[in-house]
Amino acid sequence: VPALRRYAWSLLRSPDDADDLVHDCLVRALDKLGTRHEDADIRAWLFTIMHNLFVSQYRRGKTRPAAESLDETHESAGSLRPSQEDGLHWRDLLRGLERLPEEQRSVVLLVSVEDLSYAETAAVLGVPIGTVMSRLARGREKLRQYTDAEPRPPLRRIK
Amino acid sequence: MSAPNGVAPADPVSEADLHAYIDGALDDARRAEVDRHLSEHASDAATVAAYAAQRDALRAALAERAAAPVPARLNPHVMRQQRNVHRMGWAAAAGIVLALGAGGTGGWVLRGQAPPQAANTISIMVQEAVANHVVYTADKRRPTELGAEQRDDLARWVSNRIQTPVEPPDLSDFGYHYIGGRLAATSHGPAGMFMYQNDKNVRMTVFVRPTHSTGDKAMELVGGAGQIDGCAWIEKGVGYTVVAPVPPEELRKLAQQVHRIVDHRA
Repeated sequence: VPALRRYAWSLLRSPDDADDLVHDCLVRALDKLGTRHEDADIRAWLFTIMHNLFVSQYRRGKTRPAAESLDETHESAGSLRPSQEDGLHWRDLLRGLERLPEEQRSVVLLVSVEDLSYAETAAVLGVPIGTVMSRLARGREKLRQYTDAEPRPPLRRIK
Repeated sequence: MSAPNGVAPADPVSEADLHAYIDGALDDARRAEVDRHLSEHASDAATVAAYAAQRDALRAALAERAAAPVPARLNPHVMRQQRNVHRMGWAAAAGIVLALGAGGTGGWVLRGQAPPQAANTISIMVQEAVANHVVYTADKRRPTELGAEQRDDLARWVSNRIQTPVEPPDLSDFGYHYIGGRLAATSHGPAGMFMYQNDKNVRMTVFVRPTHSTGDKAMELVGGAGQIDGCAWIEKGVGYTVVAPVPPEELRKLAQQVHRIVDHRA
């Protein structure tokens, strides 16, 4: 559940919307428990349910997914209380994450943070593995540009 | 990713390989090849380092979210209880709880194949009752929807709505006078709320709502929000909660009186 919340939160940004999504996901999961294939990894299975719900409910504009409204960014980033100088970097990073197109954001999150394999991620999102790879590459690259572009103690700029 | 100057390995290292390298998705042989490639191509190595750092930073930045306590409504165990789904394999639901490392409420033990006990219903009832208590008793002028003079009307109305015959118990022998009541909202639907007041203007409420069971559950004192505790029990599937801003022992005594009166009436 913590992982589901983390993922939902990153997708939707509003903690309340995110928790609603997690809730719907768990309700669905409890309904479908009986039909689940025993061999499938339960985490990947739950992320799949969540992603499908997200697509069907939220992407159709019931709730605006994160990407556009930059104004709220400060609020949500500010709600984190990271320590010392990491804080600045993390905030930039999360803000960058929110600026990513949703399709790239999900891939980056599922792979980098939730530790799903490429094949699992592809299954969760219902896309070919090649698409996962290209979204991952584009997402990471953009995220790096975003964070590098932020005014902060310059790292070596490598091109 | 820029092509290496003139050096073309048999199987060139692609951008996808670099990401797979970061995510630990390469087999040992390929990993060794990429290692070799990186040692010869500083810019790719720097890219990999940057992405790996990005990955670590993301995990660190989001760790706090995963560490946040899980509210009861998102605890699969609690949810399952509320739904009272009997057809589902108990072990399977346990699987969800275990796989996700939830267990936010703690103290949950798998008891063989026993059906789930209403372990949390009591605390949910107290939460609901305390929330309503805090909102309505604080209201100086309109704490109730129907006052003491409309006692019977309220009893009929509430009984209808919660589909359980109830009436406000008479607690005047214990110094609490009935001042009215109302229909209250819970996540399980309507509940009846009866309000009392003693001569020191301390307000106490008795909260009644059906549960999804038909069983009994012994009285329990549960700490509510702030300083206010609630004392709750379930009798033949009907949940009662007594809430008052008084010390726990006193609250428990009050609850026992209410329990006795309700019991006697039934």
